[in-house]
Amino acid sequence: MVTPRLVRTAPYLHFPNRLRLPMNLQKLETGNASFDHISHGGLPIGRTTLVAGSSGSAKTLFGAQFLALGIQLFDQPGVFVTFEEQVDDIRKHLRSFHWDIDTWEKEGKWIFVDAAPKEEIIIAVGDFDLSAFRIRLERAVMKCKAQRVVIDSIGSIFTQFHEETHTIRRELIQVALTLSRLNATSIITAERLEEYGNITRFGVEEFLTDNVVILRNVLHNEKRRRTIEILKFRGSDHEKGENPFTINPEKAIVIIPLSAMILKHTSSHERVTSGIPALDEMINGGFYKGSINLVSGAIGAGKTLLVANFINGIREKKERCLLMAFEESSEQLYRNASGWGIDFRQLEDEGLLKVICIYPEISSLEDHFINIQETVKNFKPDRIAIDSLSALSRASSDKGFREFIIAFTAYLKHEEITGLFTSNTPLLAGGTSDTEGNISPITDSIILLRYVEMSGEMQRSIAVLKMRGSKHDSSIRKFTITDEGANIGKHFEGISGILTGNPMLIKLE
Amino acid sequence: MHVFQLFINGHSLNSIEAVDTLLKICRENLKGNYQLEIIDIQKDPDKAEEAGIIAIPTLIRMEPTPVNRIIGALNVRSRVLAGLGISSMHK
Repeated sequence: MVTPRLVRTAPYLHFPNRLRLPMNLQKLETGNASFDHISHGGLPIGRTTLVAGSSGSAKTLFGAQFLALGIQLFDQPGVFVTFEEQVDDIRKHLRSFHWDIDTWEKEGKWIFVDAAPKEEIIIAVGDFDLSAFRIRLERAVMKCKAQRVVIDSIGSIFTQFHEETHTIRRELIQVALTLSRLNATSIITAERLEEYGNITRFGVEEFLTDNVVILRNVLHNEKRRRTIEILKFRGSDHEKGENPFTINPEKAIVIIPLSAMILKHTSSHERVTSGIPALDEMINGGFYKGSINLVSGAIGAGKTLLVANFINGIREKKERCLLMAFEESSEQLYRNASGWGIDFRQLEDEGLLKVICIYPEISSLEDHFINIQETVKNFKPDRIAIDSLSALSRASSDKGFREFIIAFTAYLKHEEITGLFTSNTPLLAGGTSDTEGNISPITDSIILLRYVEMSGEMQRSIAVLKMRGSKHDSSIRKFTITDEGANIGKHFEGISGILTGNPMLIKLE
Repeated sequence: MHVFQLFINGHSLNSIEAVDTLLKICRENLKGNYQLEIIDIQKDPDKAEEAGIIAIPTLIRMEPTPVNRIIGALNVRSRVLAGLGISSMHK
């Protein structure tokens, strides 16, 4: 028998862990790194945790993943009790996540206790108890020496015996006692009717009160947003509040631990070039390494050009750059860049550049985040360019986008990756966008590209709005795009009102 | 011909009551034309597993089909008879 591994902390995304008080309650590492992170080590060991959620909130998957990872990572056998779904359907579901349920069942590492409704009609005449169920559960746990037990879902037993809810409540207390005697770390799932209301439909929380986790699946502005909240772990600390999660086809439930992130990054004094010497000059020597930089501008103002130069800047020191393009295809990008004298293909051949072009709508922001993390892990870039954040923001609700930005920038800073993001302004001259409102507080520098309408001509301008921790040029300069690329000229003398979109010539004395 | 399985748990009150009632019904309403298997889940848990038994007592009417189940101490005889589809006319 393998003894369960006890952990205090689980590193996730390599966010530094908070300083913690020693806990008196031991926890069982679930193996889902992101959950172990927000729960400060996993589920309370030898206890039962209630996992409540509305239908479709991934309760069953949460339980199944707990067992599957237990077998895969720690060789801890598990028992899965189903009151709802048929065993065969669950097997199919498990296989779709590449969990080898057939082998596990054969090797006796995973045992199903089938308590799902049968086709036969059941009527109740007189008093009964659930001793048969308890005995079967206990046998299964003994047989495979299970350290993990999942009961999914307890609400269905109320539906199966809908006229006898008093009896069921009384009997479920017995089941809870059996579980605690068996000393297995268990999950009991239960339904909720509303996302923000009673914890469970049948008041199961009245006798399973110690540890409660809530899964939510909220529809807001036509977008689904899944979150997980640890409501309480009696006698133990954990992250508070909702954290978004996603269901990844490879890794099942992955949580983005917003509440567990802290503002503690090493800030570098090292500078990296923007790829345009004149811009480097404006920002006093280049972007800081590991900083997050935003380029804001209307369509055609030169945002992608700045991105191309930022990428080209990797040549000097043989850095690596990842480009996430959400607006253009790679063919378009290559063509445009070569129009400015920048050869993306060569950089790619040298292994310095990786270009990923996808539509933002193909997956949720959480999935994009996880995919980017995967790519970063494999490619190990020094820089990341995203063109554009505005396109990416379409994939989610406002709140979800804000959370994504926070999590993503924290991640980049921790990995010391220099980021350049672009954002579209809706107006041709002047103005800002909602996307910027979300991101600007957490960026280290903001570069504005604005059109200036003057003497019947659209001229381009460039200005550095902010540069954290450094001096910068505060003038608004002329910006032209030529065959050789970007060209930054002198500042607009004697003109005011460029940023508001109403430039006016002022007389100089 | 009626074929029954009755799952009980040792000598629990509900189990004893269910056995008593069912035997009475068999004797008085079915006049010996029945087969009854009484299964104690303590002694034969495999059978409980196979049949997917949750509640005790559980009475399964195997024949005549369709198979149906009655759970509980069977203490309301008229309801048990109705549930098993046995007319009290047999009496």
